[in-house]
Amino acid sequence: MSRILRTSVLVVFGVIWLLPVYLLIVNAAKSPLTFTSTESWVPTDFSLLGNIAEALQLSGLGDSVLSTLIYALVSPAVAVLVGAAAGFAIVALRLKHGFAWFVVIFGGTVFPLQMVLLPLFDGYSRVGLFDTQLGMILVYTAISIPFSAFVMRNFFTGVAHNVFEAAVLDGATTWRIFARLYLPMASSALVAIFILQATFVWNDLLLGLTLSQSDNVRPIVTTLAGMQSTYGGAQLSTVLAAGVLVSLPTVVLFLLTQKFFARGLALGQY
Amino acid sequence: MNSRRTKIGAAVAALAASAMLLAACSGGGAADSGETTGTLDFYTNKAAWEPDFDELNGASETSVDISLNTTGYSDADQYDAFIKQSFRTSKSPGLFTWQTGSSLTELVDEGLIAETTDIWSNAVDEGWVTEDLRETYTVDGKQYCVPMNIAYWVMYYNTKIFEEQGIEVPTTWEELDAAAETLKSAGITPYYQTSTLFTFQWFQQMVAGTDPELYEGLSTGEVEYTDPEIVDIMNMWLDQHEAGWFSDAGSTVDPAVGLKQGDYAMINFGSFFNGSLDGAGMVSGEDYDMFVIPKTNPDLERTPVAVESGPLCVAENAAQKALGLAYSEWWMSPEAQTAWSEARGDVAFNPKATVSDPMLDELGTTVASDDYLVYDRYYEATPTPILTVALEQFGAFIANPGDPLPFLEIIQAEADKYWADQE
Amino acid sequence: MASRGSQYQWSARGFIAPGVILVAVLLYLPLLWTTFLSFTEYNGLGDPDWIGFGNFAEMFEDPGFIVSLLNTLLWVVGTLLIPVGIGLALALLTWNLPGGVWLRVPFLIPYALSGIGVGLIWSFILSSNGALDQALGAFGIADTPRWLVDAPLNTVVMIIAAAWQGVGVNALLFTIGLNSIPKEPLEAARVDGATGGRLFTSILWPMLRPLTAVVVGLSIVASLKTFDIVLGMTKGGPGGASETLALTMYKETFVNSDYGLGSAIAVFLTIVTMIAAVLYLRQQLSKKHEF
Repeated sequence: MSRILRTSVLVVFGVIWLLPVYLLIVNAAKSPLTFTSTESWVPTDFSLLGNIAEALQLSGLGDSVLSTLIYALVSPAVAVLVGAAAGFAIVALRLKHGFAWFVVIFGGTVFPLQMVLLPLFDGYSRVGLFDTQLGMILVYTAISIPFSAFVMRNFFTGVAHNVFEAAVLDGATTWRIFARLYLPMASSALVAIFILQATFVWNDLLLGLTLSQSDNVRPIVTTLAGMQSTYGGAQLSTVLAAGVLVSLPTVVLFLLTQKFFARGLALGQY
Repeated sequence: MNSRRTKIGAAVAALAASAMLLAACSGGGAADSGETTGTLDFYTNKAAWEPDFDELNGASETSVDISLNTTGYSDADQYDAFIKQSFRTSKSPGLFTWQTGSSLTELVDEGLIAETTDIWSNAVDEGWVTEDLRETYTVDGKQYCVPMNIAYWVMYYNTKIFEEQGIEVPTTWEELDAAAETLKSAGITPYYQTSTLFTFQWFQQMVAGTDPELYEGLSTGEVEYTDPEIVDIMNMWLDQHEAGWFSDAGSTVDPAVGLKQGDYAMINFGSFFNGSLDGAGMVSGEDYDMFVIPKTNPDLERTPVAVESGPLCVAENAAQKALGLAYSEWWMSPEAQTAWSEARGDVAFNPKATVSDPMLDELGTTVASDDYLVYDRYYEATPTPILTVALEQFGAFIANPGDPLPFLEIIQAEADKYWADQE
Repeated sequence: MASRGSQYQWSARGFIAPGVILVAVLLYLPLLWTTFLSFTEYNGLGDPDWIGFGNFAEMFEDPGFIVSLLNTLLWVVGTLLIPVGIGLALALLTWNLPGGVWLRVPFLIPYALSGIGVGLIWSFILSSNGALDQALGAFGIADTPRWLVDAPLNTVVMIIAAAWQGVGVNALLFTIGLNSIPKEPLEAARVDGATGGRLFTSILWPMLRPLTAVVVGLSIVASLKTFDIVLGMTKGGPGGASETLALTMYKETFVNSDYGLGSAIAVFLTIVTMIAAVLYLRQQLSKKHEF
């Protein structure tokens, strides 16, 4: 297909894809006092900043930002490394029963999260991890590992095994081969997993709701979700504004890391 | 790397030990510290009210030297599960919001809630609460918890639409029907409805408005949902549907916004709805008003009004039990209720409190008179498993109105199962 | 080869241990408790009573459960067709295209949005007389269905909403796959005159297999667990018509406080997902690699 045709198709679909985002922003910018649902597509006024200020005041989001940032950076980073190590063990080091071990790790993602919430709460409050940042980091890490291991294991299967053997012949230790050879060549996959998991952690609602209570431990979306309620509370446009605000960091993260994916990291060179 | 491993190792050992504990024992809890001043940890499923509770801290600090540290939960169902689980741990709450009816009885039966009989006796003597309300908080002759809020389920209406159509506030069921007909013929949908969650209020309204004993019988299992009288009421509801009196079930527009933009003229809701309408930019008494829905059966002596009351409870084994009870005691006072009404803008359960919104003040006075009969809202009056099925079936009926019997049969099947288990 | 590999067994165990331990302690231990509860009658207070397979029997007798099961299947099929298919198409369209990276951005932004915002905006779009109906009205289409009320249409539109959010991620993963394809065979194929469809079937598709396995595997697992978006948009209604298994489980546990039945559904769901995952992965991956 010609480049022009491909570009036009992508532009048209891209615009369609952004229509809901347009609606989100336009309606988040409407004043709650004059908001109607009958003119969804038309920007009527610009109260976005006022709505954001209202959302900040209602929910006390400020306290949650720092801890959420820590969770969204530390947990995915650890999970990416742990997952890569698992993939390396199975593929490069040819761990015996590797597939079985892989299924064990991947199995951590197959059941619905709701099912482990209450036992986790019980366990956490007994060992003193409830409502602590360490507790949140641990659980977010564990949740992120299966996905990370899955992608990394499959990524490493694409690497010819003689890459590993050649390094062994050069006298490198397994740790060195992992850290200096396998990790760098997987950088685009590592970054992709990190971003996806950081986004997941940043947007998590369930775990935060169950395992934390203090304003400085609770993640941001959990705080945000409290704003909307049948029993009064914030108006739709205020909640949408809060949604826009909370989403900004992850959107920016996606934009900034685009260049990682632009690089064609060919495995063939190894 | 090593220190991280060690940390993880320690956490692993601790969690493994906890899992064994978990299986072996139940009923945790900590000793009551006995303190009656300080910061009280407070949990609520009405997360949106957090700023109002914070606002109240000024008054409570001055009076009894207690301030609330509020944690709000947005998901009511998960909140319930969290509270129940917390009784098994050292985290049982010194103060938390709950529901009346079978949810409260369930906790009391397990001995998990601190008794508040003394607080109630004092409050009744002082004339701070009515005996009627006390009933709602009584299990086996003793009182538990104190009322956080009280709401009456009434009819809100868009005053502009009523004026334009020359409609007077209906005082009888016939007038209400006539108003609906007038609106419909003018091309305006009379009533709001939704097919999720709040699907019960019109059923509740018509059953209690026809015969309060019939309504009572549903909640105790003495009356079946397939009872001919219930079927008749459902058919009346079906006729109203066919006349086009209800809003589109597929609409997800915020009900307050819908009333504002005239999607419908009336909406049956709890009196806490003022807050949402104010937030949507409507002015109380000017853009919207409310009336008590007339009785469906004109032969009834008193007009039944659904009431909803959310309790503030103290866990029996909480470390902050004394502190929670001290706050509960203060909460009942006119001073606290006046401050609360100012912060939240609700009907006050305490007749001696001053209510800031004149509309709500008037409602409270009206309903307290002898012409009205207050009954528990369907949501609290119905045992949870039956309620879940009923809310779904009413939702299905609202979405696709038709012969009511199949819907009622499904609810009754669940009711049969539930009441059989209770024996 | 095998003898050479075996000398690294201790090292390999060390590398895999952190992952296994964290997952085992934080996810499997709680799951064990849930599995135990599935054989009991328990309301969240007091102690559970052992009732054997009673919950499982009750589960299969419930007509609502069958509806949930069918809806869940619809989610699995729909998720494979729409987000995975479009994701692959996007990756191929942007691959080696100048500015392709930026043309992919519109599809990634929805993933970065918080779930609350996404649920709200789609309810807003699909509401009767909502944004979609208003747009259709402008084109003279007035008689629209009730998107969120009429089953199974409500499940279909929710799959589309989920696809809207998920497509970008799949495209991203496929792009990583495409970028890791060695240049030489591609050049060779191009020199041989392979273009378009034939280049795709003979070179790209086989090379993409590991990443396709990832994307499809994750999609199956995710669609079996579909929960948030349904809770946010229809609450499974009206009358349970759009419920999924994960939502039924949630309802029994958290709304009805029937922990035993909720856990039984969770166990069933876990077993089904596990079987699907293992069968799928074995079939997809064993061709490529010996274990």
